[in-house]
Amino acid sequence: MTEAPHARILIIEDEPSITEFLRTGLTYEGYHVVIAPDGLTGYQALQRGDFDLLILDIMLPDMDGFTLCQKVRQEGNDIPILMLTARRGITDRVTGLDLGADDYVTKPFSFAELLARIRALLRRRGKQPETTVLRAGDDLVLNTETHEVTLNGHPVHLTPTEFDLLELFMRHPRRVFTRETLLNRIWGYDYVGGTNVVDVHVSHLREKIGDKPPRRIRTIYGIGYAFYPQGEEEPAT
Amino acid sequence: MKAWRDLPLHWRLSLMYVGLMALLLTALGFAFSWETERFLLETTTSRLRAQAKPVIARWTNALPTPLTQEGLAATAQHLAQDLTSKDTAALILDAQGQPLATGRRLPEEPPSPPPDPQAVARALQGENEVDLITTFNGQRTLVVLIPWRRAPGSAEILGVIQLSTSLAGLQKVLWHQRLWLILGGAAVLLLGALGSLWMTHAALQPLRQMASTCQRIAQGDLSQRLNLPQQNDEIGQLAQAFDHMVAQLEASFAAQRRFVANAAHELRTPLTAIQGSLEVLLRGAQDDPAAAARLTQSMYREVTRLTRLSEQLLDLTRVETTTALHKQPVALDAFFQEFLPQAQLLAHNRTVRLEPGPAITVEADADALKEILFNLVDNAVQHTAEGGHITLGWQATDNQVHLWVADDGEGIAPEDLPHIFEPFYRGDTSRSRRWGGTGLGLALVKTLVEAHGGQVVVSSQPGQGARFTVILPR
Repeated sequence: MTEAPHARILIIEDEPSITEFLRTGLTYEGYHVVIAPDGLTGYQALQRGDFDLLILDIMLPDMDGFTLCQKVRQEGNDIPILMLTARRGITDRVTGLDLGADDYVTKPFSFAELLARIRALLRRRGKQPETTVLRAGDDLVLNTETHEVTLNGHPVHLTPTEFDLLELFMRHPRRVFTRETLLNRIWGYDYVGGTNVVDVHVSHLREKIGDKPPRRIRTIYGIGYAFYPQGEEEPAT
Repeated sequence: MKAWRDLPLHWRLSLMYVGLMALLLTALGFAFSWETERFLLETTTSRLRAQAKPVIARWTNALPTPLTQEGLAATAQHLAQDLTSKDTAALILDAQGQPLATGRRLPEEPPSPPPDPQAVARALQGENEVDLITTFNGQRTLVVLIPWRRAPGSAEILGVIQLSTSLAGLQKVLWHQRLWLILGGAAVLLLGALGSLWMTHAALQPLRQMASTCQRIAQGDLSQRLNLPQQNDEIGQLAQAFDHMVAQLEASFAAQRRFVANAAHELRTPLTAIQGSLEVLLRGAQDDPAAAARLTQSMYREVTRLTRLSEQLLDLTRVETTTALHKQPVALDAFFQEFLPQAQLLAHNRTVRLEPGPAITVEADADALKEILFNLVDNAVQHTAEGGHITLGWQATDNQVHLWVADDGEGIAPEDLPHIFEPFYRGDTSRSRRWGGTGLGLALVKTLVEAHGGQVVVSSQPGQGARFTVILPR
């Protein structure tokens, strides 16, 4: 299968250090990101562009996020809105949701949580770039809802770690993951231990999905691994 | 004594007041009663003497000549009878003090009390006004002794005329009067006590209200006020001062809470950026050297900002809680020459120029002064584009020194001017944040300058830069 179309995300936030990591992180995850540093720029970008999701900070230099959110909704735009708030007060969240925001995260937030909420919002609006059934070639199928993997119609039994690894590979075909990145994403940021645990799990996974040369899960020498859905493609040099 | 102190104040005041009033009333009553009695006795005495005088004169003229013992006795008998009336008894004694005649003929006429020998002796020696009071037949009786002279003014004394009258009637009048005095006094005391209780209770009501308000405030509700009706007495002034104090406290607590909330908010932004950047790096951005460099630089900026923020927070609280300024004479030209390179280091592609003033010294804490100028220059840098100009210098008047920092940057909007020295106030959020301002620099400047007994003022036109002037006393 081919990669799902990029979801376009508009971020209206004035803190450069926050937009910096949001841009880098979301781009890395496959989203198309546009940044607007103030409410007016953001509003104009929203009028022009075709966005699938709006990430909106409450404290903007020229207007507050609530006002902008209300304005967008009054104009009949039903784009999913995720509010970023530095305040923990219940009223703030309620106000945001009442004015038409779909969800909120409180600063400081975990990036993984932000990603999960973005995915949930996109899924709810049917703009989910992720499909629940992932295919590689004609034979390998992974269902994220039922947690089932089949090879030529026969079920393959994977451990949860192996399943997460395969899902990550299948969602990002041809992307090169370093062992450190795989470790951080599958085993968690605070995992203590060597990267050879990645090699062990990759080799188990290869065995279970009958991955023989030319492999789908290729070792990129000195870097890490990349996934090639058809298997027969030549690796990029 | 403890029980007395435990009594409510309005009870104690009323009791003292009533006690004093009782004392005063009793003293007055006694004086009045005594004076009345004396007056009545004198009137009675005068009446007896006045009534007796013509009778005595008439019978003295009627004495036979030559005077015999029998003639004297017969005249005395007439005289005694004439002097006697229903309420007055008369007894005549001879020159030896022995009874000569008595005027009592009818049973309803009062008997005479036995003469007092000492008094009779004084009268026989010629003393005209001998009066005394004795008790006779269980009644107080007034006795008046008159020497009986051969002729008016004569030294020859034939005997003594004793007139007596019962004081029962007079006594009765006096008792009535005392009864009225006592009843009236009691009524006055009762009214006075009630009135004083009511008045002190009413006067002290604000104090009780203050106590209960204080309790509510102590429980944390600083919005409580007494709100007594305006009155200009001591309690009214106290109540106003109290309300003023609570308002001040409420404002300063609110400011404190706002400050803490703002500080927490200021901490949250860099923390969010650092946490997010780290997470994004760990999730794979570390594999892209360009992204890794950008995120690392961003985190470095945020950590620097956090460090500066925590330093300034500490400085602010230090200056606010202590007055630990080490003032010493600071020679301004040397000071600015030393400071200029630091300012240029801070300025990043902006021109920093020094306009020196007169060679004078100012009494100041050199470190604090450096901190003040550092923050002013930092602020100027934040609000001036690259290539802009920053000027600093000093001027002196007779009793003031002006240190100033001016820039040709974006200036300050008029609506922001009154607030720029408030902690965490930002006129235009994005611009100053982009340069990594903490929002505390100008607040720290103000606090430090005021600790020196000076003030900091700002003048600015939007688009034409700003000029901050620190005015210190010389």
